[in-house]
Amino acid sequence: MDNKFVLREWWSNFNRKNTYVLSLVIFLLTTAAYLILQPNAFEEGVLTRLLTSNFRTWLPVIMLAIGQTIVMLGGGLDLSSGALVSLGNVILAISITSNEEPLFNFMIILGVIAIGLIAGFFNGFLTAYMGLQPMITTFATSFVYSGLALLILPNPWGNIPREYTKMYRNTTWLGIPLALFIIAAILLTWQVIKNRKYGRFLFAVGGKPDAAYYTGIRVTRIRISTYMISGFLASLAAIIYTLLTGSGSATSGAEMTLTAITAAILGGTSMAGGSGSLFGSVLGVIILGTIKNLISLSKMDSWYRVLVNATVIIAALASPGIISLFRRKK
Amino acid sequence: MKSISLNAQHITKHFGGVVALRDGSLNVNSGEVLALVGANGSGKSTLAKIITGVISRDSGEIIYNSEAVVFNNPLAAHLAGVTAVYQELSLVPSMTVAENIWLAQEPLTKIGQVDTRKTISETRKLLNLFEGTYQSTLRPNALIDSLPPDEKQIVEILKAISRNPDVLILDEATASLDSRQVECLFSLVMEWKNQNMALIFVSHRMDEIFRIADRAVVLRNGDSVGEVKIAESSEAEIVSLMVGHESGLGRTERATLKISDEIALEVKDLNTDVLASVNFSVKKGELVGIGGLRGQGQSNLLHSLFGNKRYEGQMTLFGETLTANHPRAAMKKGIALVPGDRATQGLLLIRSILENLHLPNWRAYGFPLKIRKAESDANKIAKTLNMVMESLEAPVSSLSGGTAQKVVIGKWLLRDPKLLLLDDPTKGVDVGTKAEFYNLLDRLCETGTTILLYSSDDQELIDLCPRVLVMQDGFIKADLSGDSLTKANLISTSMGAGLNAVNG
Repeated sequence: MDNKFVLREWWSNFNRKNTYVLSLVIFLLTTAAYLILQPNAFEEGVLTRLLTSNFRTWLPVIMLAIGQTIVMLGGGLDLSSGALVSLGNVILAISITSNEEPLFNFMIILGVIAIGLIAGFFNGFLTAYMGLQPMITTFATSFVYSGLALLILPNPWGNIPREYTKMYRNTTWLGIPLALFIIAAILLTWQVIKNRKYGRFLFAVGGKPDAAYYTGIRVTRIRISTYMISGFLASLAAIIYTLLTGSGSATSGAEMTLTAITAAILGGTSMAGGSGSLFGSVLGVIILGTIKNLISLSKMDSWYRVLVNATVIIAALASPGIISLFRRKK
Repeated sequence: MKSISLNAQHITKHFGGVVALRDGSLNVNSGEVLALVGANGSGKSTLAKIITGVISRDSGEIIYNSEAVVFNNPLAAHLAGVTAVYQELSLVPSMTVAENIWLAQEPLTKIGQVDTRKTISETRKLLNLFEGTYQSTLRPNALIDSLPPDEKQIVEILKAISRNPDVLILDEATASLDSRQVECLFSLVMEWKNQNMALIFVSHRMDEIFRIADRAVVLRNGDSVGEVKIAESSEAEIVSLMVGHESGLGRTERATLKISDEIALEVKDLNTDVLASVNFSVKKGELVGIGGLRGQGQSNLLHSLFGNKRYEGQMTLFGETLTANHPRAAMKKGIALVPGDRATQGLLLIRSILENLHLPNWRAYGFPLKIRKAESDANKIAKTLNMVMESLEAPVSSLSGGTAQKVVIGKWLLRDPKLLLLDDPTKGVDVGTKAEFYNLLDRLCETGTTILLYSSDDQELIDLCPRVLVMQDGFIKADLSGDSLTKANLISTSMGAGLNAVNG
């Protein structure tokens, strides 16, 4: 066996297993630009403050992006996760008003998680079991969830106890904010799950559902489970978002869905299923957030901000197509 | 030793209004190879799929080890020890060889993680079964996507055998293997048979059935019409059961048509990424076969002629230089290509037969469209080709393999091509359709059409073509015709060894 060949096989496997390579490069570039443009970034304490304020804002979207990635790995798409954030957000906002009854508050949080799981099951049932088109179906169910949110809380309101929001916003450990620990915990859990049977089944189902079925994998169950994971993570995102803002709004998650999908694609996850990584999606959210920060640092008109943001999203969505165009020409 | 018996009795299956299986019965016991034979559309793959739980049956019984069983999905069949080798169906292209083979039966470590080291070493062991018949790129860590069809098929076989089945169904498992790999598979089949496995072998290739099967069950139009002991039977007997009446399968006498002296196609120093200085010329009305092991550049040659591949070199058609760099240019010169994979390259499966037949021809029917004329032309060609179909409006996906292939050929015949390129057109086509197809080629040659036919079936080339070019590694290794065109020469030259033939 010649070395060149082994090297090539290693490289192609590396690329397949680490689909985030491109996003890692973009991440380094945008972060470098941000740190250079940000005045006094390296003074004492500033870095921790920047990390804390940025990551506590990004964490809800990161949760959604992770859920979205798992659904996409299984060959589906979930356009309803943002609406689930809105729904969870308003339920928490109207229910949790004081910290005197921790048990009651805890039950509410469990209830929100249950709603996420049920909604995810509903999405999965319609798409995987009934065989409906995921894009249309979850777009439709998103109206159900956001409609419910609007019914519960027509006007933004909320009075989440300070003690709770402070704990989320300001907790750091060794200069590292809580949000980063949560991200690390999720990625580590995934690393374990990925190398279990469930992980293999998920990649097989997304890669070629017929093949998975012929091999004896319960394709429908796996698919439904991905939507339930997405619903679960959307509920966690709702809890975190509520802690972040301290109040509720029926439109709070509306913009998150597209950002999460864009981040997943930017992170190297394939819309066709069966290939991608959660780490890439986390990088994707960070990249999009950093670019947003860069735009505001550059003191552009607000109209241009929206335009640049939209351009970035379109470029990210188009990147897989452009890359494969280049590969074909070779 | 455990003794196994599987007995399928009077199985029926309807798809909508179409009867796929009317009375399918077979039984197979441990230590035996049962051949399941039948023309396309006779219901043999339906029967095989019902046995493995891929599709459900309408009525009938499966008795497995003297117990009535129902396999509702492939998983249930796997667990009971019934496994099938599908044709590239069950591999995930984006996963590696090892991941695919051990999918859904991963060896686990104590904490429930997939034991990657073990999967890789076990995969190596399995690959050793086919040692020497595949390229060095087939390794446990190679992506399925990067493998050629024959190696995918090997992985498919290994995947099935890794499950230690009691009953193994080989569904056209040899279709994409070359002769060395088939040899290897057959010796393995013999070994498995001696280990008391029960094997069901579904194949179109008569010689293979006679080599490894003990018994054969013949299906015709959804009925089990007979069962023969191979040792006491003959090809003619099985064919007559398949067709329902005596009919000649192969044509033994070679077409001795008068070929004009006019040179139709001349290829000089053709080079592509696969081909290496290919030279040959073909006369008008000549039927030239292209042979050799699979994947030696045969398809590449045909696609280059059709302007579908980049090439260097000179090609002339009736004295005119071909500068085809796009299929459209080649079509204008009167070249037609029937591609190898009809499902993806030859047909729009969900569109109607009419649309498919006229896909390259609509321009001829003007604007506004002369739809009546188009329909009558389509009907004419359907009649010529003896196509079995409900109507011209039926989607191509509703047709059997043989008839679908007729649509692919028909759409080019409507253009009256001067040069017809055929890329393994009879792969997966039943015997009856093949015979019709052979007659069609004869008629075309008589009317002066020049034909280049690549076939992976050596016997077909010998029966059909007065002249065969044998390719290996992108070279034309031999140009066989007349007395030198024998099966022995064809095989030895295609293996690149012991050439006792005359050089071209």
